[in-house]
Amino acid sequence: MIRQGAPDSFVTIRNVTKKFGAYTALDDLTFSVREGGTLALLGPSGCGKTTMLRCLAGLETPERGFISIAGKTVFDSAAGVNLNPEDRGLGVVFQSYAVWPHMSVIDNVAFPLRVRGVSAPERRKRAMEILDIVGLAGFAERSATQLSGGQQQRVAVARALVHSPSLVLFDEALSNLDAALREQMRLELKGLQDKLGFTALYVTHDQGEALGLAETIVLMNVGRIDTSGSARDVFMSHQTSFAARFFGLNVLEGAPRRKAFIAFQREHAQLRTPGAPTDNGIVLPGIVRTRSFQGLVDEYAIDLDQGALIRALDGSTGFEPGVRVDVVVDEHNLFLLDR
Amino acid sequence: MRDTKRRLTLQVALPLVGVIIGVLLIVGPFIAGLARSLMLWVGEDPQFSLANFAWLFTDRRIHQAALNSLICGFGAMSLSLMLGTSLAWIVSRTDVPGRELFKTLNLIPFFFSPYVGAIGWIFLVAPYSGLMQTSIGSFTGESIEGPNIYSLAGVIWILSLFYTPYVYLFVISPLQRMDAAFEDAARVHGASFWTTIRLITLPLLQPGLLSAALIVFVTSAGLFDVPLALTATKGIRTMPTEVFALVRYPSDLGRAAAFGILVTVITIALTLWQRAHLSKRRYEIVSGKGYKPRVTEIRGAARVLALTVEIVFLTTSVVLPVLALILVALSPLWTGRSNPSNATLANFSYVLFDYSLTRQAILNSLFLAVTGATLGVTISGLQSYYLQRGRGRFKGLVDALLALPLGIPGIVLSLFFLIFAIRTPLYGTLAILLIAYVARFFPFATRTISAMLSAIHPELEESARANGASWTQTMRHILLPLLRPALIAAWIMLFIIFIRELGASILLYASGTETISIAMLLLSENSVGYVAALALIQLVLLLGGFTLFRLTKVSAIQ
Repeated sequence: MIRQGAPDSFVTIRNVTKKFGAYTALDDLTFSVREGGTLALLGPSGCGKTTMLRCLAGLETPERGFISIAGKTVFDSAAGVNLNPEDRGLGVVFQSYAVWPHMSVIDNVAFPLRVRGVSAPERRKRAMEILDIVGLAGFAERSATQLSGGQQQRVAVARALVHSPSLVLFDEALSNLDAALREQMRLELKGLQDKLGFTALYVTHDQGEALGLAETIVLMNVGRIDTSGSARDVFMSHQTSFAARFFGLNVLEGAPRRKAFIAFQREHAQLRTPGAPTDNGIVLPGIVRTRSFQGLVDEYAIDLDQGALIRALDGSTGFEPGVRVDVVVDEHNLFLLDR
Repeated sequence: MRDTKRRLTLQVALPLVGVIIGVLLIVGPFIAGLARSLMLWVGEDPQFSLANFAWLFTDRRIHQAALNSLICGFGAMSLSLMLGTSLAWIVSRTDVPGRELFKTLNLIPFFFSPYVGAIGWIFLVAPYSGLMQTSIGSFTGESIEGPNIYSLAGVIWILSLFYTPYVYLFVISPLQRMDAAFEDAARVHGASFWTTIRLITLPLLQPGLLSAALIVFVTSAGLFDVPLALTATKGIRTMPTEVFALVRYPSDLGRAAAFGILVTVITIALTLWQRAHLSKRRYEIVSGKGYKPRVTEIRGAARVLALTVEIVFLTTSVVLPVLALILVALSPLWTGRSNPSNATLANFSYVLFDYSLTRQAILNSLFLAVTGATLGVTISGLQSYYLQRGRGRFKGLVDALLALPLGIPGIVLSLFFLIFAIRTPLYGTLAILLIAYVARFFPFATRTISAMLSAIHPELEESARANGASWTQTMRHILLPLLRPALIAAWIMLFIIFIRELGASILLYASGTETISIAMLLLSENSVGYVAALALIQLVLLLGGFTLFRLTKVSAIQ
């Protein structure tokens, strides 16, 4: 079999385009995931990340493009290949968990083995093993409706892993959990992946989740890839105004030095009394709109004279709303962006 | 100050009146029937006796009738479950062309009368003389017998066509609102399309399917008019036609009452079992987070099949029988062949203007439908207020009690009313028909209104009270306007049911109080042209109701 795609690429997505009527949900998307790797599709709602996941799972059919998983072509518009979802051999954790309410926990988890014709004793054994790993061994005979949200999530994870799929997809898998549980689950998922060695693709709108779970991040914006790269690169060195805004930076248009945008972190905006000398950086005069207590620092919203509203975190000084301030950003903390 | 706690305010009294009327309408006739079934006349004096019940268990005619009813019930239930679920799935989950239109058209048989459907089908396929036989015969030159509509299979066929929309209504809403991720999760984890339907979709629909199955079974087994039209004259009796026979020739009210009581008890047991079963298996299949239900793109053979199912259903339930009725109604003398050159409206003008029986019957039906629907909605509205807003200790019990007539066959209830009223001045009046209609069918209205009332937050009324409005003012300006869609829907539903009702009328009508359906029955022996014209007039009234119903956009079953 000819392996299409980059040599080290386990999941290959090439030129995938998906339209809903006149709306283009995915516009010529190309990326890949290495074997055993983790990739997060990150972006605001409506950016097409879930549509991409559904195309990968076979739940949506793209108009155009090529998708292969583990060396097997599952979709190829040119060759007319489009495998059914059940023939792609995946595990998927859905946002709503989709734990079937008419089945017990163990029946839910054993389902992928059942439809693969695994014998009843064997699938019970394997389902119990995976339930043990996710910490639900004592809940096997419960009805799925008697579980808490966090427990349902574990059932969904166990179900996605029980048949040892080579690729597991997670659709906003953690976003329905409360903060503490989300953190715990994130660590457990990392542990599971180390132990079982599957390749993982996460879809999330939460940057913390993406950074914590994935080594590679693909940041999406209205159906296109905006930025992609290692988690560190995507977070630390912003290439576009969209990425900068998405990660919560202040972005100003028509900035100096013939660049289209400048961007800076809230933490890097220092507040000074107007007219105070500055040695190396830009000075943006403005008026404090609000000040809110954030613990160690105060968060300010400041109307700049040039028209933009920015946010600044500053702990050292106390400026009251209505007061004029200079916002000072050091040269080395500025991102100069072309688009 | 002293008496505030115990004072009987209008707010408490008025809803209670509705509840008490409802309870009397159910318990009164039941007690009359029960008492009559336990009596045996020896000479002049009635005695307490179980002989009527003993007879039930030994008489072979009763066994045969009960068996035939079970066959009709199971047959119609199975067929309409398959058909109703398929239709609901086709319009809610596929991209079949015209699905939005089909969504509405599929409901039409729900508003049609099965009795009229049966008559239409007799004109269509009566052995040797049906329209199908004569049309095919005119090509081949042979005389054809065709399928035997005068059989239990014929009864099942008609019942299935007209009860399919019940199943459809129960299933389409969960199908439309179900979280698509349930099915997606099955597919991506290795289940094929059909395996997913079998292991996930159908089990998730089970509560709705079970409710629909029970309603179709009970209604089919207890429906009087279709077996009367199709099999009674061929000596095949079902439970309701047997009750009719027991009352008429020779009259034995005691045995009829015993049979009726037995049927009622079985129906109540089934209903209670279903309630208990459903309350144990109540789970949410709507997550609100998922995608919209997955629409399956069907191509090629599947598309043709889906369209065929839709078109065959609408053709056989609506188009063909109505067409047959029109052809018959326009013919001066029906010979099994229609001749367009001598089409005439004479049948219509005769039943509408000239024939006193049919003219009176149409007026009677309209009077019963309008008055009955108004009375029914009034007491149902009061009952709903009690059930949703009242503080009674016996609410659960009252709720269960008020729902009982839903399953009791119309002819059984009218038998009890007959026993109740036979020696009173009520007997032979329109009033007794009116009371029987309301008693048999008000639970439908109570369900519709209760469902909507439970969705209206009490704070809306409380804030009116807090702002100084009295209870009456609050009702008038806040609650009634909010409830209006449900009240209108319930009224139209009762109107439709009353216009076509036969089972609850058959034992209670007298000369001068015939209804449209009764007139059709009386004329069916020899004047098919009048029957067809009457049937069409009834359909026009029903269709008017259906159109109004679609405009108010409140579902009948919630």
